[in-house]
Amino acid sequence: MDAVQISNVTKAFGAVTAVDGLSLTVPEGSVYGFIGPNGSGKTTTMRMISSIFYPDRGDVRVFGKQMLGARSELIGYLPEERGLYRKMAVQPMLEFYGELRSGRKVTAEVESWLKKLDLAKWAPQKVQALSKGMSQKVQFIAAVVPAPKLLILDEPFSGLDPVSTDAIRSAILDLRRGGVTVILSTHDMQVAENMCDYICMIFRGKKVLDGTLASIQGRYGNDTIRVAAEGGMQFLEGLPDVERVRDLGQVQELRMARGCDPQQVLRTLMARTRVNSFSIMKPSLHDIFVRIAGPEAGEAQVA
Amino acid sequence: MRRTPHRILLIARRDYLATIRTKAFIIGLVVAPLLFGGGFLGVALIENKPDIKERRIAIVDGTGVVAPAVIQAAQEMNAKQLFDTATHRQVQPRYVFETLAPAADPKLQRLELSERVRREQLFAFIEISPAVLHANPHAAGGQDSTPAPVATYSNAGGLDALRRWLEDAIDEGVRRVRLAQLGVDQSRLSGVLAGVKVERFGLVSRDSKTGEIRAAGKKNEVAEFAVPFGLMLLLGMIVMVGSSPMLSAVTEDKAQRLVEMLLGMATPFELMMGKVLGALGISLTSSAVYLIGGTLALAGMGLSGMLPFAVYPWFYVYLIADVTFLCSLAAALGAGCNSPQDAQQLAIVLLAPVMIPYFLIAFVMQQPNGAISTALSLFPPFTPMLMLLRQAMPGGGVPVWQPWVGLLGVLAFTLIMVVAAARIFRVAILLQGKTPKLADLVRWAVRG
Repeated sequence: MDAVQISNVTKAFGAVTAVDGLSLTVPEGSVYGFIGPNGSGKTTTMRMISSIFYPDRGDVRVFGKQMLGARSELIGYLPEERGLYRKMAVQPMLEFYGELRSGRKVTAEVESWLKKLDLAKWAPQKVQALSKGMSQKVQFIAAVVPAPKLLILDEPFSGLDPVSTDAIRSAILDLRRGGVTVILSTHDMQVAENMCDYICMIFRGKKVLDGTLASIQGRYGNDTIRVAAEGGMQFLEGLPDVERVRDLGQVQELRMARGCDPQQVLRTLMARTRVNSFSIMKPSLHDIFVRIAGPEAGEAQVA
Repeated sequence: MRRTPHRILLIARRDYLATIRTKAFIIGLVVAPLLFGGGFLGVALIENKPDIKERRIAIVDGTGVVAPAVIQAAQEMNAKQLFDTATHRQVQPRYVFETLAPAADPKLQRLELSERVRREQLFAFIEISPAVLHANPHAAGGQDSTPAPVATYSNAGGLDALRRWLEDAIDEGVRRVRLAQLGVDQSRLSGVLAGVKVERFGLVSRDSKTGEIRAAGKKNEVAEFAVPFGLMLLLGMIVMVGSSPMLSAVTEDKAQRLVEMLLGMATPFELMMGKVLGALGISLTSSAVYLIGGTLALAGMGLSGMLPFAVYPWFYVYLIADVTFLCSLAAALGAGCNSPQDAQQLAIVLLAPVMIPYFLIAFVMQQPNGAISTALSLFPPFTPMLMLLRQAMPGGGVPVWQPWVGLLGVLAFTLIMVVAAARIFRVAILLQGKTPKLADLVRWAVRG
């Protein structure tokens, strides 16, 4: 069964259409990632799945049922903005949130998660005493206690240091191994590439990409060359049949035009400088994102 | 839906405990009645600390006979009123007099005496003209345009007790001189002019079981005024203290992004009603403290007979309805605000159902069963305050049907307010960056 089915959903706020005729399905037990620029409709979509917003048109089903504004203990939701009672102690606050969602005492689960995320000694402390990373972990616990079947995480890694990021990533993957379906939004394309079974890109309220990473990249083919050449960018200008060059610092990515012969590119480049590495590959998710939502997309539209 | 009551109670419990455990609540429990009742307490304290410094008054007597009579009357008043009969403490200043003959230049004499007042050698001076001996039946009523025969000069405030005291002494002195001129026997005068004692009673009734006619109870001015006034004051105070913080609390929760977290777990209706119920719990706690404390205090003073125990249940019904509708309104308005500053500007809307009845107290107490008082007390936003005031007045004679009709109106109004507020709350609570207009609020309240 699909964990989430969204069919032709539209949601507008006044004159602004945040989500426009969106349809998608989230397979049960998968990690499903939303990407897209700010204001594209990701958060609105996740709020509709959580029943916080109602769609103006269309149908949202979670595990086959229309939620119609009801709250379910099956859904854990972590909003993008962090909302914790600053003057409450950590453990009572988490127990309050857990009981609010499930209708039962959740002391044991809270204690277990506090231990798991190395926050046990902070349990009696007030939330206002926590660092940003610790607050983020506490809020994550609030979303996963008691165990949900569907976990919706809006920007779960934003503003986190690598240690906290690893801790939360590991916890998410553990939950997924336990059968939990995870929907997350992220601006970090590497997170989407590495963690998500399915990726959906929303742009201006409409779905522009949906599928596995391989299937998305497959649409673009092997049109990208990653090269490390001595002298870097100065020798890459004006290469034949290369549409764009993206400087990543130590390496550069070249996007080939349709019909471009990579061997010809290599020969031209070797004639200019010493080439240390040269690989032909599918475009990265980052590159695909920029092609759709970056300035060149605007230029293409104008053209 | 089956978890709705549990979620509402859970949110209410959290908000309730979070509030009553704060020092601010405990301090507020003490400070609020001091703020509201502080004026009365202050007056009582000030009255116990009167200014008893001797006051010298000069009398410029144009009659040659009135000043001694006024001084004698003043000395008799001094003797009667200077000391509290129970405590023997001096409770008002002693007035001493000096008599002056009118000078050739009255203006200059007034100036010299005024300078003495400014130098604090005198407290005031009085001019008595010969016209005072000719009784004018219209003068006291203020319908006569001729100059007053007696003038007092001082730089004391218009409400100074001196004015009333002096007027009494002058009246008495002048009256004695006039009566002496008419040949009336002064020794029989006090008995002739003594006031008649009038006692006020309620109505006589018949005991429905025994058939016995029950004597009417004596009317008690304290019970007639202070008890209804105090009960209404208490209701208004608790309602304001209970509902006002809701506006800023919701705005703060919204600004701190707590709301979205909570809305992932509870519906907007559950969240709003939980908050309203929490505020109601806080109000009931405050009211229990004040009402039980006040009742015990009056019982301790032997005044429990003044308390309208039959009105207590109504007090709580009105309190619950008032707090519920005002807190719902506050939650809806708070949901529409984006900052505490926005919320402050709307606070006046919440105060209106409490403050307007306060302004109407005197009117309603003078005519508790008049058509306008009745209509005002049946207007749902004012019913809790004004109907309670009328019901708490001893022998107020509020027809039995009126409180029930008023209650029906209040309950219907509260229900409509809660439904409308919940609709506004649901739409507005996650809106950011734009403060909704009144038209938006009305549209959301009607359509959801």
